[in-house]
Amino acid sequence: MRNTIQQLLNGIFIGSIYALFGLGYTLVFGLLDVLNLAHSEVFMLGAVVTYSLVALHHVPFLLAVPLGIVAGGLLGLVIEFVALRPLRRRGAPPIAALISTIGLALILVALIEQAKRGSALAWLWRDGANDVQFPAGKVPDRIWHLAGLTLPVDKLAIVVITVALMAVLAYVMAKTPAGRAVRAVAENPRAAQLLGVNVDRVITITLVVSSALAALAGILFALALNDISPYIGRDQVELRGLAVIVLGGMGSIPGTFIGGFTLGLLESVTILTLGTDVRAVGFVALFVMLILRPSGLLGRQTSERV
Amino acid sequence: MRTTSRIRWWGTAGIAVAVISVAACGSSSKTSSSNSNKGKTLKLGAVFSLTGAGGVYGPQQQQAVKLAEETTNASGGVDGANLSIQVVDDASNQTQAAQQTQTLIQQNQVTALLGPTLSNSAVAAHPIADNLKTPMLAVSTTGLNIVGTCPYPCTYIFRDSLGEATAIPTNIKTYVASANPKPKTGVLLYPNDDKFSVDGATAVKQTVTDPAVGIQLLDTIQFSKSDADLTQFVNQGVSKHPDVIFITSLGGIPAKIMTAARQQGFTGQFLGGNGFNSAAVSKQAANFGKGAQSASAWYLGNDFASNAEFVKAFKAKYGTDPDQFAAQAYTGVLILVDAAKRAKLTYTDLPGDRQKLRTAMESTNIQTPLGPFQFTSTHDVHQTIWVIAMDGQGGFTLVTSVKPS
Amino acid sequence: MAFLTQLLFHPFTWYHAHQLLAGQIGVDGLLALSIWLTLYSGQLTLANAGFMAIGAYSSVILTGGTTSTGPAAAGVHLPLAVAMLVGIALAALVAFVIGLPVLRLKGVFLAIATLGFGEALRYGLILNLGITGKGQGLNNPHATLTSGITPIWLALVVLAFLAWRLTGTKTGHAWAAIREDQLAAAAQGIDVARYKMVAFVLGAMVAALAGGLGAHLSFLIDSNDYTFTQAIAMLIWAVVGGIAFVIGPIVGAVLLTILPEVLRFTQDYRQVINGIILIAIVLFRPDGLFTRRKGTGNPSRLLRGWAFIRRSWASRRPQPAPP
Repeated sequence: MRNTIQQLLNGIFIGSIYALFGLGYTLVFGLLDVLNLAHSEVFMLGAVVTYSLVALHHVPFLLAVPLGIVAGGLLGLVIEFVALRPLRRRGAPPIAALISTIGLALILVALIEQAKRGSALAWLWRDGANDVQFPAGKVPDRIWHLAGLTLPVDKLAIVVITVALMAVLAYVMAKTPAGRAVRAVAENPRAAQLLGVNVDRVITITLVVSSALAALAGILFALALNDISPYIGRDQVELRGLAVIVLGGMGSIPGTFIGGFTLGLLESVTILTLGTDVRAVGFVALFVMLILRPSGLLGRQTSERV
Repeated sequence: MRTTSRIRWWGTAGIAVAVISVAACGSSSKTSSSNSNKGKTLKLGAVFSLTGAGGVYGPQQQQAVKLAEETTNASGGVDGANLSIQVVDDASNQTQAAQQTQTLIQQNQVTALLGPTLSNSAVAAHPIADNLKTPMLAVSTTGLNIVGTCPYPCTYIFRDSLGEATAIPTNIKTYVASANPKPKTGVLLYPNDDKFSVDGATAVKQTVTDPAVGIQLLDTIQFSKSDADLTQFVNQGVSKHPDVIFITSLGGIPAKIMTAARQQGFTGQFLGGNGFNSAAVSKQAANFGKGAQSASAWYLGNDFASNAEFVKAFKAKYGTDPDQFAAQAYTGVLILVDAAKRAKLTYTDLPGDRQKLRTAMESTNIQTPLGPFQFTSTHDVHQTIWVIAMDGQGGFTLVTSVKPS
Repeated sequence: MAFLTQLLFHPFTWYHAHQLLAGQIGVDGLLALSIWLTLYSGQLTLANAGFMAIGAYSSVILTGGTTSTGPAAAGVHLPLAVAMLVGIALAALVAFVIGLPVLRLKGVFLAIATLGFGEALRYGLILNLGITGKGQGLNNPHATLTSGITPIWLALVVLAFLAWRLTGTKTGHAWAAIREDQLAAAAQGIDVARYKMVAFVLGAMVAALAGGLGAHLSFLIDSNDYTFTQAIAMLIWAVVGGIAFVIGPIVGAVLLTILPEVLRFTQDYRQVINGIILIAIVLFRPDGLFTRRKGTGNPSRLLRGWAFIRRSWASRRPQPAPP
């Protein structure tokens, strides 16, 4: 029983990271109909930058986190100006943008992977392809033991942060002029332009916000799971992020959160019942969901999106 | 118009960066030299994973090989011939490893090869070398069927790395013999989508049933190497209250499991394989990994004179301590150079030289950083095994050493 | 640079030292062709890594592949050609069954569902069935190594030719119409579901063939060769080459398989430069290297020179209408 509760808690912890990560995917997809596959590398770089500040440059953790998020936001600008805007201007198909974001992702992983002691990027990363974790004592790593349950403070904080961010974002999207502008662009960019919305600016800001969220997710992942490496984005969350946004419903913010927690809990329940092989179950669920209800749990029914 | 010019600009910038990088890197890639005593050159090749996931090991191997090349040439080369080793990157990809092996043999005309770094790549690359009758010495691959029983003849394949099939039983038996009280139960955790890890897990499962060991496996928990949250699997294992947690895995996974298990209150012993034997893993696990025990082909402080020399030279050249992978790669070069000296190579008849080198390698008996070194009849290692434990600070302490039988 | 000079000026010496690479290029060309079939009919499917695995595992198991505990299928020793036909048929069957529900999806949803199929196949079946050797991989003692290269290139040339001829048939026109506008195609009386299924099943068969041929270049096959990354690689080849013509994806595959080898001299920054070049190509030619010029039936730029020569031979005729 205790084990069951612990595993469900674990599912909620990891689910909130999936949700936070999926949020950025879904924001950009909702707006541009483009899957931004560089998103997972922003996740990775958020963690790497924060690690570098804390472990190599002795910046206090609570200052390093906002700096890591800012770095993620800046990377969002890079994605927009290098991989997306030039193609948009040419009226290129979304699939071309998919490939250019893949190219960007390749570059980011390779840069970090090759950063070693003595290389040009040694100020940012010096462990090559190795995994590292935050140095003990420099980050919040208290663990509460309550009624036999292991409750790491960092993981509890993640759930709180995720829920709070979801509430803020849902409010911004629904009630503020900025949110209305984003929805207008998502609905029909040309009409929004005619109504006086600066479409490029809306897209740029959305990419910055989405990337900042990915960076935050990466930092929290690194903190909670003691794992930072050039591959955490590509290997651990990229495909899961896709699963989350589909489960929840493409473009839907509350849907993404439900999708994240659903996937996290689904994985926990699988471990509890089968003991192994969570990945297959996640993909089977994804597959079944797409066939039964392509619009996801909370997505709107769309006729065609390419 | 503005759009087009901007696209041009980005494209041009991209190409400019490419050209600059090419100019910067291209200049350093030629290593051939001809100033040897007799004007002859012994050409060797090495296929290592310098980029990709195997980049955890490849760069140290490259450093060690380059060091060995330098020391050999500084001390008179191969009976006067210059030693030249070309190191190529297989990007941790088995197809590239096989292709590079073929290119080194047929284009670069190497007499023998080292590598590849990863077991998967080895299974793809070794048959190519064997087929082209060129000796290839594995210096880091620990999986099953690398030498001895292979799915192809493998008469030209040797290995100086300690296979998991030897390392894991040695480690477990050493631990059981000294532990008090004796461990009775264990849990095994490993990723099921990685050959190295599954090979290791197979060795654990076989060893625990040995009457001398007698550990009951309460659970065998499989996961994927790309699973994000290992705490869930560790939880499952820890909840069974085992005396021992066995971990057979590479990269960051052992450290993540140790951290999660200790956080969940596990107080027993961690036992593992070659995946533990890297300074990076010990550093990542830090205090959570203290005492985690494994068998290694090498130990930094081992008291062989040839090792002290190697460690000193490596530190002088690169500023850091070598690790097991560096020591094995360095040893690989020593083995090939020694065999080349004894084989009386012609340096003109390449196929004949490869054949002679292979024969000479079989009777290797030299001092190396790994200790006195010989090959078994199946071309596998015959050497001292070091049982080591993580010290909680990124290093290892020696538990005991096991002499070869 | 030596690599390129040799490839261009001493192709036979190059081939001698790069046979396996040549084989790999051929396999990649086949894979690009397999994904082209679905892309040409307007479907973004990423299931081909899974079909490739079906072809590879079938062809190795049925020709006497072994796991670490013994023969995968005791007593089964089919000739390679027969084993591959079985693999192709199996892939076609699986594609048909999967396609029934999945091909109703569109765009990114179809892509993600097919990706889900590939990963579920790998994690659910391949890594759990004893017959596949699970995570230890499947030994292939009957690997053909270099003698397997000719069949690969032969298959590529023949299939590329057939695919090209197919674009001129009723089926090809139906695919193009569905790609342009599915609703309009349906309104013209084209059986959209049927033609999509045909493309999907044919693509699966070509992928299975590529998987089977590629598997016999190696003594070990491993589930890590048939991942998400492999599926995405095929997509990149096809998009970079352009999907308007059969030749596009094949050229894309050839170029992008050779590129990392050409860039080998850049050492540590090989992957970085590889990525930069990929982005540059997509930014310069978002519709791919081989594209149709808008408003005419002629391909633009790269093929324009050829078109010019052809035009100067032929008498002035009105340009054919776009399909």
